[in-house]
Amino acid sequence: MMRLQFILTKLLRGLLTLLLAVTFVFIVLRVSGDPVSMMLPDDTPPAIVAEYRAAWGLDRPLPEQYVRFIWSAVHGDLGYSFRDDRPALTVVLERVPMTLLLGVCGFIITVVIGLLAGIAAALKRGTSVDHAAMAFSIFGHSMPNFFLAILMILLFSMTWRLLPSSGGATWWHLILPAVTLGIINAGTVARFTRSSMLEVLHQPYMRTARAKGLRLTRRVMSHAIPNAAIPVVTVLGLRLGGLIAGAVVVETVFAWPGIGLMLVNAVGQRDLPVVQTIVLLVALTMVITNFIVDLTYGWLDPRIENRPNKEG
Amino acid sequence: MAIEQSAPAARPHWLNLRGAGRPRLLIMLCIAWLVLVLMVAIGADYLAPFAYTEQSLLNRLKPPAFLGGNPKYLLGTDGLGRDVLSRLIYATRMSVLIAIVGSMIGATVGTLLGFLAAHFRGIIEDVVMVFVDFQASMPFFIIALAVLAFFGNNFELFLVVVGLYGWEVYARLTRSLVLQANGQGYAFAIRTLGVHPVRIYARHILPNIMSVLIVQVTLNFPELILIETSLSFLGLGIQPPQTSLGLMLGEGRNYLATVWWTGIPAGLVIFLTTLSISLVGDWLRDKLDPTLKIAEA
Repeated sequence: MMRLQFILTKLLRGLLTLLLAVTFVFIVLRVSGDPVSMMLPDDTPPAIVAEYRAAWGLDRPLPEQYVRFIWSAVHGDLGYSFRDDRPALTVVLERVPMTLLLGVCGFIITVVIGLLAGIAAALKRGTSVDHAAMAFSIFGHSMPNFFLAILMILLFSMTWRLLPSSGGATWWHLILPAVTLGIINAGTVARFTRSSMLEVLHQPYMRTARAKGLRLTRRVMSHAIPNAAIPVVTVLGLRLGGLIAGAVVVETVFAWPGIGLMLVNAVGQRDLPVVQTIVLLVALTMVITNFIVDLTYGWLDPRIENRPNKEG
Repeated sequence: MAIEQSAPAARPHWLNLRGAGRPRLLIMLCIAWLVLVLMVAIGADYLAPFAYTEQSLLNRLKPPAFLGGNPKYLLGTDGLGRDVLSRLIYATRMSVLIAIVGSMIGATVGTLLGFLAAHFRGIIEDVVMVFVDFQASMPFFIIALAVLAFFGNNFELFLVVVGLYGWEVYARLTRSLVLQANGQGYAFAIRTLGVHPVRIYARHILPNIMSVLIVQVTLNFPELILIETSLSFLGLGIQPPQTSLGLMLGEGRNYLATVWWTGIPAGLVIFLTTLSISLVGDWLRDKLDPTLKIAEA
């Protein structure tokens, strides 16, 4: 009962976010000028403009336009790209695999480096391992991703000539962007893992485990990590936004043919159907991820689901 | 008056640089760097040896003085023969200006909304919180890109868009702090005296929650610099002939193989500045909140 209610609340919240995203695009498109002149190239003949206006219902009252807009957004009808005359959704979806590939690899690097550094720092608290891990964390937090990307190119592509710096033709091309993306986010994860682990390591049950004579690895693996996982999962979920924003920059610097590069180009060329498609796609991704993160909480700590919505 | 005295007002001891926990050398260096950046931003007109737009086609792509270049151009020149040091100085001014004004925009909007939500509760609070949740679940960077795409780019719009970064954190923070404060004795006592709510919030509650908000500013500030420089780097922020640290690095990217000095210094300034703010911010938080130390020990 509680579980169903929990899931439904989260689901409703996700749908509301999506609705707001669609509304945001709708409002921005209309506030910024005549949607037709925005959505069609400048040299479009008047007859086509009129036809387009009627087809999209732009001669109707605003509330009706709004409903129609949501309706077509739900059906994936988001206009045609200016660049190639195909539906914006098709054009964008073609790029999804490349961005997913980069994102997943970057994410794995983030998780592996972040968790290892954080756990090591917590276990070796106050030692040089701890200091090094925290220095790395602050480095990742302060380093602009585009600057790190440029330094990577400067070192690995131009000075040492080890790896290609732009494009997405081979697996070799994946290394630099994925590592850049991974390192930037790993710092934050390391920091949270460390503080979460430190909190857990002082709990009475850890002392009990030690008193029972369990080995360190066993204590950490089966007692500390599961309990320290919740804040870390939250951070990983929250970092997705950072990962997406980072991917936009990293893809652009490394000319990685994904959605991020497409978005930057589309903004530059004011290819608005593509921009709005990507914005809505990002919103959808975020909502789904948040939903999964929420469900993971419930799985990690069943108490969360049974807790009434907390105040403040 | 007696009531005001009994208020649990934390003494603003966060500027106390002497005392028990003296800053370490690293922190002093960071503070020195930040002061330098601020001075450069303020005194750009006096410090820059050249105008940042001044081109000298005869002196294109000259290396920095320490690499055997012309000592007139300390950090060399770029592809249009503009003095890199002068451009760096003006770019620093632009990025610092945007970060400061932007911080104020975000903090003001967010804090105001937080107060509104906590005061009126009910539907207003719900609406504010829905927007807070929406903002928190959408990457700000993408929203900013979308707005710039739809409206086209101009300086004022860019400033406002970048400034709004992080408003939702201020709103959420202020709301919960005000709700807490409203439940405390001093707020209740002043309210029973019949003081106008605006006065209660401005004169009594705001000073009490200020330290937390200031900490949030130190957290927000470096991220704001990163947002601005990222957008400018991608060519979607500050537009030439104006310049910013991000734009400089973005322009320098094309010359990376041969004349790295046109862009790398700008990247270094961004990195050192965000690093310094993060370290000083951490240190300030420790000083601000002594309970943190006890909890960690």
